[in-house]
Amino acid sequence: MSHLSLLLDLQPAAWHDPTQSLQFSTFLAHILVFLNAHLAQKHENSLAIFGAFPGKSIMLYSSIDQTKPADRRVQPDPNWYQPFKTLDAALTERIREEMPQPSNSSEAEEPLPVPVALVGALAKALCCKSSTYCNFNRIIQATKVEAPSDTPLVMPESRILIVSVSPDAAASYIPLMNSIFSAQKLKVVIDVCKIYGPDTTFLQQAAYLTGGSYIRMCFLQPPSVRSLLAVPTTDRVDFRAACFCHKDIIDAGYVCSVCLSIFCQPVPVCSTCRYAHLSTRLMRPI
Amino acid sequence: MPKDPETAGQQDAPHTLIPFLQSQSQTALTRLYTRPSSCLAIFRLLGPIERQIVMSLLWLEGPIASQTLNAWVTKEGRKPYGTALDTLSKIQILPNPGTRMLLNPNFKASFRMALTGGGDLNSFGVPYVSSKEKDAERDGAGDKKFGPNLEHLDSYALERWETILHYMVSSGTDSTPQRPSAGVLYLLQRSGLMQPLPSPSGYSTASSRKTSQLQISSLGFQFLLHTPHEQLWELLLQYLKMVEERQMDLVEVLNFLFMLSTMDLGREYSPDNLTQTQLVMLEDLRDYGLIWQRKSSSKRFSPTRLATTLTSSTPLLPSSGGGNTGPQGFIILETNYRLYAYTDNPLQIAVLNLFVHLKSRYPNLVVGSITRDSVRKALNNGIRADQIISYLVTHAHPQMRRNNPLLPVTVQDQIRLWELEKNRLKSADGYLYTNFAAQADYQVVLDYAKQIGVVLWENSVKRCFFASAEGHSNIRGFIERRSKDEQM
Repeated sequence: MSHLSLLLDLQPAAWHDPTQSLQFSTFLAHILVFLNAHLAQKHENSLAIFGAFPGKSIMLYSSIDQTKPADRRVQPDPNWYQPFKTLDAALTERIREEMPQPSNSSEAEEPLPVPVALVGALAKALCCKSSTYCNFNRIIQATKVEAPSDTPLVMPESRILIVSVSPDAAASYIPLMNSIFSAQKLKVVIDVCKIYGPDTTFLQQAAYLTGGSYIRMCFLQPPSVRSLLAVPTTDRVDFRAACFCHKDIIDAGYVCSVCLSIFCQPVPVCSTCRYAHLSTRLMRPI
Repeated sequence: MPKDPETAGQQDAPHTLIPFLQSQSQTALTRLYTRPSSCLAIFRLLGPIERQIVMSLLWLEGPIASQTLNAWVTKEGRKPYGTALDTLSKIQILPNPGTRMLLNPNFKASFRMALTGGGDLNSFGVPYVSSKEKDAERDGAGDKKFGPNLEHLDSYALERWETILHYMVSSGTDSTPQRPSAGVLYLLQRSGLMQPLPSPSGYSTASSRKTSQLQISSLGFQFLLHTPHEQLWELLLQYLKMVEERQMDLVEVLNFLFMLSTMDLGREYSPDNLTQTQLVMLEDLRDYGLIWQRKSSSKRFSPTRLATTLTSSTPLLPSSGGGNTGPQGFIILETNYRLYAYTDNPLQIAVLNLFVHLKSRYPNLVVGSITRDSVRKALNNGIRADQIISYLVTHAHPQMRRNNPLLPVTVQDQIRLWELEKNRLKSADGYLYTNFAAQADYQVVLDYAKQIGVVLWENSVKRCFFASAEGHSNIRGFIERRSKDEQM
């Protein structure tokens, strides 16, 4: 079985940009078919969808802890597989509820849109994954029939797909890195689908570090099949980091010799670990 | 055994239904692929690589060269990829993969429809809407009564299924459990899981009034130790094989099964759109516990969990029919061959009774021991040592999981030794030739017997050998001719 967490970057400013060729409604239709295809792969496949809105992140749908009464609200359709219909109806409704409408008047006053809470959504996805992991452990201890205790537990394969349209938010570098590390620990693969906009350095790194791919296609196969049917990978990954002091992406900088925090210029006292460098020369350039 | 996800994709054996589909004619398969629900169900039965190939090709309009897709395959993936293409071409989803890749047009259209919704084939089942509910809907009342509750469905399915298994397991004994319906009995007999009792011996009990008394066969004993999911598919396959002689349309039967597997658990459906064949099936499947109906004449039906998990690889039976009291194992086996089974389920106790000598029984516990006689009894019934061991492993109590290896090695080895012991003696009908007057005589006759290949055992010191019965007339004739020659 395989678990997919989908992170949708729902930046209204980007989606309502008239210069983009892809309409949001078309995009949503494609995403729904993709999700249906994921559910179609196996009866046990599960799904969680998170939306990253400007300043907030919301879980839009989860096939795991779907409360039954809500499930039943959807009228059955003899021509459609019930789980697909439930998913499609629920997701469209939630997005319609939550999606803020861009106000034309404020556009001039607010040239910089609020960055979307992508990291928040990512953290939620990982929490969700982690809790299912714990649940799974508990279940497996109770039911896993053939596994002798010494064999490693078989986890459901899990991956996260980030559909991104907005550029990097440099302020979110540290929390994003932390999320990547916990994803590595949970053995979650992060795939990134950059639909348009400039390449994002951080998401490239996320995909690279967790063994995912940063491309625009081929996201359906679970990681186990990828070893047999190769997927295109990115060969050029931008490894630049953001400094901790000004959140700028830098080519060269300085690291604290104790805690490895990154700074764009030498500082007398490290802002992270409070270590007072006797001489700023002790900070190592990278 | 559990596999890590890396290898699971490569080594999973294909589903039992796939070989059956491969043997079907092209026209039947093409008809089958016109229903979106069937396409979805078959797609789920395929292996991971096959599913990926189908998905890659699904949204392409024209054919692509096979080299294009081959370029994706990694070195290690060559072999599984080849088998996957082979399977797909045999079930006509991807005809001629050697030259150009193009999905079967019917399959492509239906599967797309399954994913996007639409059409008017009603292939996912028409939900039952009573007139009262229609009114409620008009009023906008939110809470409706949705058929039977899930616990009821689960217990119904379990009860039906265990009736079948329990009947099988206790057929050899004196107890007369509840008898499944005639259709089920016929299916069991046809599948070779049960056979008519060889000696009627005059007495006929009340239970044998309709069909002759049935007895479980060695195949049936093996069947009992399988997982519930395998058991269910084994019976359904047999059902599918019987379809033609019952003048039923195989495609409609398959369509109905697949439709059931894609239905929503706990919802009621209307049988109005079903064909005649499928209405007949409705009754059969009710006997197996796949379908629930309030009354046999009822105008609605609900699939049970047995039906809705048909295409899932891990069946989520309420409490797996093959024998668990809960999701946990229940057997503790000690090195001194004693076995404690925490269960009060008569079916599980009956299955254990196949190879365990049960000694005492408490409200929630059965105590017994594995003895030479009890295992030999099982082996004589056609059960293999490996099956006993795998049953014990599958149902081991969580407390046993701390042991490594899971089962005591002594017991495992001993069960295997008992099986070997059974194979130690081989019996053959034949004749012993002895009392040869001279070594030369003995040698000549032995050589002749060896020439015609009938010697089973020889001992040149004692001047005797044993040959099979079919060679006797030849050897006898040879000796007589020789003695005549000597006299002359």
